[in-house]
Amino acid sequence: MKLYFLKVSILLCLLSRINGAEFFEENSSTSLEENLRLNGITTQEALGAGKSQALDTTVRLLRNQKLIALGTLINPEGYLITKASSCVGAREAILTNGKTYPLKIKKRFEEVDLALYQLQGEGLEFNHVRWDKTRSISEESLVFSAFTELEEIRLGVASGSPRPIGREGGVMGVLLGREGKKLGGVEISEVVPQAAAYRAGLLPNDLIVRVDTRKVTRRDQVIKIVGAKDPGDLVNLEIKRKKLNKSIKVTLGHRSVTFDLFNRNLQMSGPVSKRKDNFPLILQHDLPLPKEAMGGPLFDIKGNFLGVNIARVDRVTVFTLPAETVRTYVEEWVPEKIN
Amino acid sequence: MIRCLHLVSFLLITLFRVQAEVVDTQAWEKRSPENTDDLLAIQKRLKELLPGAKKGLVGIEAMDGAGSGVVVSSDGLILTAAHVIGKTGKKMKVRFPDGKTASAISLGGSEISDAGMLQILDKGPWPFVEIAKNKNSKIGDWCFGIGHPGGFDSERGIVVRIGRIIEKKDETMQTDSRLLGGDSGGPLFDFDGKVIAIHSRISKRPDQNFHVPIESFRANWDFFRKEKLLTIEKIERGGFLGVSCEEREEGLVIQSVVPNSAADQAGLRQGDILLRINNQPIVNREKLTILISTKDVSEKVVIRYKRESKVHDLSLHLGSRLE
Repeated sequence: MKLYFLKVSILLCLLSRINGAEFFEENSSTSLEENLRLNGITTQEALGAGKSQALDTTVRLLRNQKLIALGTLINPEGYLITKASSCVGAREAILTNGKTYPLKIKKRFEEVDLALYQLQGEGLEFNHVRWDKTRSISEESLVFSAFTELEEIRLGVASGSPRPIGREGGVMGVLLGREGKKLGGVEISEVVPQAAAYRAGLLPNDLIVRVDTRKVTRRDQVIKIVGAKDPGDLVNLEIKRKKLNKSIKVTLGHRSVTFDLFNRNLQMSGPVSKRKDNFPLILQHDLPLPKEAMGGPLFDIKGNFLGVNIARVDRVTVFTLPAETVRTYVEEWVPEKIN
Repeated sequence: MIRCLHLVSFLLITLFRVQAEVVDTQAWEKRSPENTDDLLAIQKRLKELLPGAKKGLVGIEAMDGAGSGVVVSSDGLILTAAHVIGKTGKKMKVRFPDGKTASAISLGGSEISDAGMLQILDKGPWPFVEIAKNKNSKIGDWCFGIGHPGGFDSERGIVVRIGRIIEKKDETMQTDSRLLGGDSGGPLFDFDGKVIAIHSRISKRPDQNFHVPIESFRANWDFFRKEKLLTIEKIERGGFLGVSCEEREEGLVIQSVVPNSAADQAGLRQGDILLRINNQPIVNREKLTILISTKDVSEKVVIRYKRESKVHDLSLHLGSRLE
């Protein structure tokens, strides 16, 4: 891709040489006006009550006055759910009407990366998503969610099969090189800059001798032990560096975050969610939402509540936890039946 | 003003009613959707068209990456992007939505528009989709794109995006339908279910992506099919005329002439309309570049052009771009 861009820029130079420079600057006034585009104001207004419903049932979660996630109001008492790994340190929430409320954490559901909070206020009744109007989708549909400022919405298409997303596992962020009994371990050939191994002080040419007390002589042994752990877990390495044995502790990182540096699609995508793996079931859609907009509700055109946006994966992909999945986790923690 | 327009449209509707019973404007033909019903109609149309559109989609696997393409004939001709095929005569593997694979060989294309072609080698018939006629798509039209963003994924399946054409000019079309690497070469459809463009490049803003309009394929169909690829290198080394043109209704109009170029020396001027080169019609700018660049420096060509509604023939020797 990089090469291709290079070619394009050469091409542009070339064409402007052939054609005279004026060609590329003219005629931008004929393009479709912003209002009429897929996410222009005109299209948004066509949703009418659906738009207000999305804005009224979504809250902004702040840490130090900065947006860190959105939340989905699920009952009149101000209970809301959001993305657990994004909302750490959230102290207050702002509604679309500008009112601010302190937040109290009720429960975290690490398995599905959800957190349950309650807005603190006396005798209030909040708008909330309708659990009697949920729907599961199995084919391509238009969908929408509130955008970050709770003034606009974003419209797009849900497509691809609803499916579970497997676990990524933790990584050290090294490339493994030579191996063998003769060598007496597994050699590190490269260390990913800024990754877990880099921060722990591992260097290229270090020879891994033991991982968590187990002797290793093959690459797959290292991969198996490390891969069975999660991001955040510790591994104890015994390494040999210039004939000296050393022991080094590495706190594992996320695979996607670690290797994002090498993924050109992610380079073009801007910041993505840290956790975007290990979900029992997701819907996929293409709403242009930043990672700070995760945690908010997703609706279909008829205003049915489809689920909670749980991970920004890349520039065309957001994962949503289906409403029914969310419900099975939070239901027993909410006073009275949610509806 | 708006009230006034409402009144006018009301009158128009009444008039039509009288004369022709009902005149229906489909939701996607309106300037913009007006309500939820319009959006539901757009969704319904999308769902109707998708099964037909998906059957021609292929994932393309090469040694150095993955892209998408679309089959447009039962004998297995595939439209894709030039940067997906890279060069002509390259063996590649294509994968249909059901997972079945076929071997294919890259044909030609152009690095100007990024149009590319590929031919399935195995015997057909293959499922295919129809392509749109020239000038069937315009700014504001609703469209949808399909492809394999990030590569073929059987568990995920085909990913669909929707949008509108926000710009269409010469060799490029821009839409606000979103794209990612791996989508390259995949088809963009109109709301008739016909291919109007091929995904080419992403822009920094996710809602301004680039596609190769079908017109670029149609204009140079035979050249691309005969395994000819117009590369930047060829343009640099080949013959050089020295004109800058714009595509208009009346034809390819010269906007400016490079001083001292072959065109300048032969007396071509701003406003002249180029019609033919060596008796071959010039239908768009890319065709002009192909016709000129595939000839050698100093080669003699006959140019037919129109000036003040008179047609002239002119013969000249091409120059070199590097001079």
